[in-house]
Amino acid sequence: MNKEQKMAWIMVITISLALIVSSIAAVTLYPCSVEKILSIFVWAASPGICVYLGFLIFRRPKGKVLFDERDIMIKRNAAFAGYLASWVFMGLACSLPFYILGPKGTVSVVWYIFIPYAALIILGFVTSIAILIQYGWGDKSGK
Amino acid sequence: MENNQLKNQIRRMRFERGEMTQQELADKAGVTRQTIIAIEAGNYSPSLTLAFKLAQALDVRIEEVFQYESENP
Repeated sequence: MNKEQKMAWIMVITISLALIVSSIAAVTLYPCSVEKILSIFVWAASPGICVYLGFLIFRRPKGKVLFDERDIMIKRNAAFAGYLASWVFMGLACSLPFYILGPKGTVSVVWYIFIPYAALIILGFVTSIAILIQYGWGDKSGK
Repeated sequence: MENNQLKNQIRRMRFERGEMTQQELADKAGVTRQTIIAIEAGNYSPSLTLAFKLAQALDVRIEEVFQYESENP
């Protein structure tokens, strides 16, 4: 398993755990504000983010060749999938209130804070999943 | 990413060359070991440049390493 795969696993586990924790909090603390749920999400994700940043900054991979054409292709495809998913989400998040509430409907301004952060989370999650799928989830080694 | 039409003899050639390891071949060709694993398994079709580098690393011609099998012969 290379550095990209390890970082993708950290990202997937961090976002999944933070989503589970904040979902449980949303159910148990109901009714509570969206800001509180978002802060719980950030709190739950912060250890994983620290590990991710630590890995990014301090972990120097060993070996003669660290990156080749296949890694570049995998990263490019994963970034495409991630950006596509986040743009689809942005489009839906911006247009759905209109279709659900109608042209005279109103939404909370919290919605506008939520959209870019959620898009960022979707970008990281989908990119990481795409990296793991393309690498085959692990190291299929054989001598 | 998968292309089963492109067959390769890398695994056989490595063993014919004193059981050359995947890492040794990867270092010679300037790629990661994971890429060698993916090429050997037929999960990744290398670029023409990499195919030439692999052939050079194995000291053979490119067509001896890679063979294209057409679906409609």
